[in-house]
Amino acid sequence: MANDILNTEQTVQSELDNRFLMFYINHMLYSVELRYVLEIITVQSVTHIPSVPGYVKGIINLRGKVIPVIDMRLKLGMEEREYDDKACIVVVEIKEIHIGLIVDSVSEVVNVSKDNTSSTPPGDITEKYISSITVHNDRTVLNIDCEKLFMDDCNMVEEG
Amino acid sequence: MNDLDTGMESLLEAFIYETNELLDHLDEILLESEKAKTISENNINSIFRITHTIKGSAAMLEFEEMSTLAHAVEDVFYIIREDASKLDLVFDELFDLVFQASDFLRKEITAISSGEYTPSDASSLIQSFHEQARIMKGEQPAAAKPADAQPAATAETAASAPAAAVSTETEHGRGMRVRVFFEDGCQMENMRAFMLISQLQSCCGKVESVPANPEKDQALSAEIVKNGLLLTCCGYESEDEVLKTVEQALNIKSYEILPAEGSPCSVQEPVEESSQQAAVEEAEQPTASAQPVAATSEKANTTATKTGVKQSLISVNQSKLDHLMDLVGEIVTAESMVARDPDLEGLRLDHFNKSVRELRKLTDELQDVVMSIRMLPLHGIFQKMSRIVRDMAKKLGKQAELITFGGDTEIDKTINDAIADPLMHMIRNSMDHAIEMPEERVAKGKPSMGKVILAARNVGGEILIDVSDDGYGMDAKKLLAKAKEKGLLTKPESEYTEKEIFQMIMLPGFSTNKEVTEYSGRGVGMDVVRKNVERVGGTITISSEYGKGTTFTIKIPLTLAIVDGMTLAIGDTVFTLPITSIRQSFKVGEEQHIIKNSNGTEMIMVRGECLPILRLHRMYGIEPKYEEIKDGILVQIENSSASACIFADELLGEYQIVVKPFPKFFNKYDLKSEGLSGCSILGDGTVSLILDANALINNL
Repeated sequence: MANDILNTEQTVQSELDNRFLMFYINHMLYSVELRYVLEIITVQSVTHIPSVPGYVKGIINLRGKVIPVIDMRLKLGMEEREYDDKACIVVVEIKEIHIGLIVDSVSEVVNVSKDNTSSTPPGDITEKYISSITVHNDRTVLNIDCEKLFMDDCNMVEEG
Repeated sequence: MNDLDTGMESLLEAFIYETNELLDHLDEILLESEKAKTISENNINSIFRITHTIKGSAAMLEFEEMSTLAHAVEDVFYIIREDASKLDLVFDELFDLVFQASDFLRKEITAISSGEYTPSDASSLIQSFHEQARIMKGEQPAAAKPADAQPAATAETAASAPAAAVSTETEHGRGMRVRVFFEDGCQMENMRAFMLISQLQSCCGKVESVPANPEKDQALSAEIVKNGLLLTCCGYESEDEVLKTVEQALNIKSYEILPAEGSPCSVQEPVEESSQQAAVEEAEQPTASAQPVAATSEKANTTATKTGVKQSLISVNQSKLDHLMDLVGEIVTAESMVARDPDLEGLRLDHFNKSVRELRKLTDELQDVVMSIRMLPLHGIFQKMSRIVRDMAKKLGKQAELITFGGDTEIDKTINDAIADPLMHMIRNSMDHAIEMPEERVAKGKPSMGKVILAARNVGGEILIDVSDDGYGMDAKKLLAKAKEKGLLTKPESEYTEKEIFQMIMLPGFSTNKEVTEYSGRGVGMDVVRKNVERVGGTITISSEYGKGTTFTIKIPLTLAIVDGMTLAIGDTVFTLPITSIRQSFKVGEEQHIIKNSNGTEMIMVRGECLPILRLHRMYGIEPKYEEIKDGILVQIENSSASACIFADELLGEYQIVVKPFPKFFNKYDLKSEGLSGCSILGDGTVSLILDANALINNL
């Protein structure tokens, strides 16, 4: 049921446009578009899956649905660290696939107007995942492009 | 048909479902009749009914081509029905044609259900049917328009049946007028009116309607909604039958009988509608000819007796069943969550335990019922295979028959769908490569008619399907040489047993036939068949005798969804093994000797058998609780051919688990070959990984 409600909310596109969920990874602020986000849950015990890349931590049970979880630190090429009580799993839906993203902590939801954003400098490794950069309350926020982030994973899914 | 609005969608669904059923039935009759080299009167009537129904419903949904084609087939069988001896004139050609027509319709239906329908051209097929009709009628001038041909034929038969002609004379005097109103908002009233009229024509000689020819113009719908459909029926056998037909028609709100010219009676009788009974029944209704001389009363009776059979079937969308299955799975999980709640540990709860047992009993029963809903007999698939054997035999100039056993064996819908392709491929292989040409067979002292046998049987929790032929058989030596040439051997040639050699034909990159034919050898070999079967948890074994034939045996589980499993812990990870693949579990005592090989593998002697030990924690990179074999526990697993021991920290207990596939995210990682077949949620909410004993053993 919760999913249904979320889905109907999602169809109300205008409400979600230009809204971003901000979270911290390694003391940096990142954000994803709110329309991808289904919910935020606390970190729970993850079942490890063998022979998958290190950033895929395994699978969890989300109310009867099994979803993969990914450590964003590892995915973005940073050091892994122990999860504390602030660590969260942000559950996103990309191309009908649910994925949990483990982040250090969740900050807030903000409205970002297009004028406030600037594109990423070319050639940077972050260009692979980061779609744009905004400044919010004097802090730089890197906006993650969810579809790009999981392009490798999701493209393979389609082929499979 | 791009503008399929929602009102039509359910109608369309019913049409697709119904037509598929009808076509299956048609194929069945055709195959049976072709084999018998004759068609029984019953079957002719059935074919007639089937094509008539398809014609009507296709016309209603405005699928012109399908309707016309069905009409052409109907015409031909109309002639045969009148005089069965004419069939001999065109027997073979006609069967081929009808099969083609059935294929054509099937293709159209598939296109419609995929949502991208553009009408294909059936005119050449239709033309061929008209030709056959002409031949049967004995060389009538080709100029005669096919549409006119039919009444001509009936006139001919009418002469030979004077009694029928007389009866029409007298019946013309009686006329009945009925005004019919359709349900509000049922849409396409004009086509419904047309359907009703054609149904009425089966029991009345002549039906006139106001407005006339409602099917010609959509705009007439409005008029029918407003004034109702006025029907004047003549030449009916009994008033009751006419009224019954009207009552049974779909979406009728009410009808009234109007005073027929001069007669004063007037009855009004609102009728409750029964659209729910839709598709299945309609096929059972007698839909006899539309011609004035129509069926003689004797034939009408034979069809009429069938109306009594009412099937209490409903068709359900599969996604609903899947959802139901999921829910039952959740309930099973929730039940064990409650029964094994950690808060209850160590408490004495006699009453609670009793209630839990009761609940368990009910969930078990619920589960069984839901499973049984999803079960389908294999008969449908077998039917399709007969078609393939027939078609291929004709094309390749071979003689072969398909013999099936156990078509009533039931199997989960998902598995049923999944094995259709592999089976088809195997049958094609048998026909193409195994069955010899008739001359060759005779020379070898075999009957010229080859045999392909498809047999299914239920053994325990599994279904065994044999696909066997009495053709060439496989030459183990030749296969081994071929495997060597392709570099597929993993041990010295001499160590291969015959069984292992046969098994090699299912390796990727192994195809024994270099020729590419229309049916097989397009690079899709037995390895794909094996993959497809394994995807639903099945295995294939092969046995063959050179010169005598080959048998493939597919072993598949009855159902995928819920299995009894033993959970075991290795470090923090919980694994589940299906009980069916466990032979025993045991502690290793001090006295038992572990054999250590130089390459690091370990083995243990159990009852005279030397079994390899699988340290899953090493395979999967898990930190185990125990490293020493004697601290943990060994679980002996087995597949059809071999056995091995899994080393685990401890056993956690036996659970009923709901098998869930891995999230799609993991599709690109071949977890199956790692020995993991899926995952399941345990009573405490953690996720356990389901081990696939077969894959684990094969990986050794």
